[in-house]
Amino acid sequence: MPTVNLTQMNTHEIIQKVVEFGGDGVVKCIQCGACASICPVSHAGFPLFCKQLIRKVQTGYEEEILDDPSTWACVACNRCVEVCPRGVNPTEVIFAFRRIQANELAISTSSLMSQSNLYEKGHAVLSGESKKLRVKVGLPENPPTSVNDEKAQKEIQTLLDNSPMADLGIF
Amino acid sequence: MAKVGVYVCHCGSNIAGVVDVAAVREYAETLPDVVVSREYLFMCSDPGQELIRKDIKDGLVDRVVVAACTPRTHEPIFRKALESAGLNKYFFEMANIRDQDSWVHGDDHAGATRKAKQLVASAVAKAANLEALEDTYVDVTQAAMVVGGGVAGIFAALDLANMGHKVYLVEKEPSIGGVMAQLDKTFPTNDCSACILTPIMVEVGTHPNIEMLTYAEVEDVDGYIGNFKVKVRKKQTYVDWTKCTGCGACAEACPAKVPDSFNCGMNDRGAAYIHFPQAVPKKAVVDMKHCLNCAGHKIGQEPRISKKTGEPMLAPCEKACAADAINRSLPWNPEGELIEIEVGTVVLATGYRVMEKEHFKEYAPDSPNVLTALQMERLISATGPTGGKLLRPSDGKKPKVLDFISCVGSRDIRHHTYCSRVCCMYMIKQARLLMEKYPDLEIYMHFIDVRTPGKDFDEYYTHAAEMGIHFIKGKPGGIEMLPDDRLRVLGYDSAMGENIEVDADLVILATAIELPEDAQKLAQKFSMTMDGSGFFKELHPKLKPVDTPIEGVFLAGCCQGPKDIPDTVAQAKAAAASAAIPLAQKRVKIEPILSEVYPEKCSGCGICVPLCPYNAISLKPYADRPRAVIDMTQCKGCGVCASACPSGAIILHGYTDDQIYSQIAALTQSA
Repeated sequence: MPTVNLTQMNTHEIIQKVVEFGGDGVVKCIQCGACASICPVSHAGFPLFCKQLIRKVQTGYEEEILDDPSTWACVACNRCVEVCPRGVNPTEVIFAFRRIQANELAISTSSLMSQSNLYEKGHAVLSGESKKLRVKVGLPENPPTSVNDEKAQKEIQTLLDNSPMADLGIF
Repeated sequence: MAKVGVYVCHCGSNIAGVVDVAAVREYAETLPDVVVSREYLFMCSDPGQELIRKDIKDGLVDRVVVAACTPRTHEPIFRKALESAGLNKYFFEMANIRDQDSWVHGDDHAGATRKAKQLVASAVAKAANLEALEDTYVDVTQAAMVVGGGVAGIFAALDLANMGHKVYLVEKEPSIGGVMAQLDKTFPTNDCSACILTPIMVEVGTHPNIEMLTYAEVEDVDGYIGNFKVKVRKKQTYVDWTKCTGCGACAEACPAKVPDSFNCGMNDRGAAYIHFPQAVPKKAVVDMKHCLNCAGHKIGQEPRISKKTGEPMLAPCEKACAADAINRSLPWNPEGELIEIEVGTVVLATGYRVMEKEHFKEYAPDSPNVLTALQMERLISATGPTGGKLLRPSDGKKPKVLDFISCVGSRDIRHHTYCSRVCCMYMIKQARLLMEKYPDLEIYMHFIDVRTPGKDFDEYYTHAAEMGIHFIKGKPGGIEMLPDDRLRVLGYDSAMGENIEVDADLVILATAIELPEDAQKLAQKFSMTMDGSGFFKELHPKLKPVDTPIEGVFLAGCCQGPKDIPDTVAQAKAAAASAAIPLAQKRVKIEPILSEVYPEKCSGCGICVPLCPYNAISLKPYADRPRAVIDMTQCKGCGVCASACPSGAIILHGYTDDQIYSQIAALTQSA
């Protein structure tokens, strides 16, 4: 790996962007590693899990990590938020960086299915398995949500069509 | 026949976890002279001591052996128990079956038990031969000396003086203040060092109980607790301090150029100089080593007469002095003045120095833009060489990128293994102060790890990170000099696992705190022991933190080990309180474990005289010839004289031949 010359990095710009998009805790991180220890993204083997993403942002990385798909693996479980001793709110840093990635159309293909699910049915994650499970425990096959409600789906699509997400051209 | 009582201590599980205490107690019952043998969980506790007191009061025992821990900490406690029960307290002997047995033989219970029995048998044998001894007392000179006029010495002197004691404050520089006077602001509150220190320096200077001896050094020490005789050399100032007003005109007039030590060599001062603008006392000195002898006017000679004017030709310093304090024609003694001061107690507060950058070849010490952190303090101080402006030494331009490197010489087996304790915090302080003053700076800081164990310290650090100061975990291994006087710091970010580098205009090295050489020499004069890190060693790291092996001599500040200002002041006040105890008691006890000469047996050969490490022995006429006499107040009871005397004329009380032989006999019989 080539040596990074810190004085040639524009740390302020990327930090400012992350802060603007909701990740203001990025400046508080002391790299203790508690978030990484329980992070499913880290456990699954993605390289740019919460702690690493934060350090790279602190160092001034942006373009170099823009295409990294790790952030899109975050399931927002928020365990990192619970264990962080400095109030960094790592999930928000990850989501802020996703927003930056999205603006640059650097969206991982791994997330496209859930995006279109969201647009069509109002749910990012849909699973045939869940239907069986619901029946097994005595619940109706489909939940009483937008998933079977065309009117609701229409409303969601209207909302998304009028949001900045529409500009990304993924729907 | 002596009636010996044996008391075996469990010391919780410290002893009983290894040694079979019951077996040792039973064995003791079988020893000659033993009338009772008991065991208890903690003999030093009140119920434990009560066992001893009751047996004495009941008339059961008249000699006491406690088999427990070390006499160093616990002998005084048990002696007191004997005394309170009405028995001479020197009818006591201790067997150390913990430090010298259970703690070192934890893997051999049977062997440790056997050794405990032998140690008890030896102590019992000696106890049966003990003699009654009496303490003696000597008066305490009602004055104290504080050596070192930094913040530690200042506070020690003030507290002692405010308790009503006369204090001599000895400082080698022309002014008190020490390193703290060189600092700009102080963490974690960022209050200005001069603002908080100088009023207290003035208080010292004007205190009726404090006699300041600045520009003076301790030359020799004699005596003992309560009666120290200290020879102090007042170095020659070549300025009449009774007349000097501290105006500084001589310093301005002096054309000599000497690296200014107060500004860490970053500018020059004259040979005539005032230590720093807020000096206490504010008096000038002439550094004769660097004096140019202007106008050919050498010290002690009449001035030459100008051929043109017929007037005497005076040096600029003389001419500048409106107070007539500088008269080079006077016969100034270059040796200064040697005075002897008698004091009861001494506080050593000689301080520290920081390592110079020249020790660190990997960090480009030849570059003027590589500074020690203390140089940085002077560079940002309003009284410093640039008046507080941050300017790059190589070209006087304002730097844009600063890089701090921590643990330079600390935590490094090539230099000092210890942590210097203050560097992390003062580096963060300097960075924060600079960021506040110059928000456009980029500041990088490399740490092995950030250590902030103090009140409000960690909050101070984390706020620095939020201010935009870049913290990098990983110690740089080198610096490359770039063509434009900039420096490329070669680092590693262990959080990312990547090599990094910083192109800096200024690099600041947090060099280690260490004991200066002159303090090492002073340590010898006061018979101090040094710890593994090279600092003065306290008597006990927890329970006697300001005491030393020399009774009546106490420690304060960084001479005992690196510490910050809050800790230094706390320790100084502790040392002052400890040093005041003998002064308040007005007399000190001299334990009778001392050597004594039987003059009838002494042949006057004098072998013992040079052997005594404490100069306690002299030959004095007795009957027909000179014989050895031991000064009780000087003797430390080491026993060298007693073992060397060819006539067996010297007895060491508490360790007589009979007592030692009986111990050897008991030890050599298998238990």
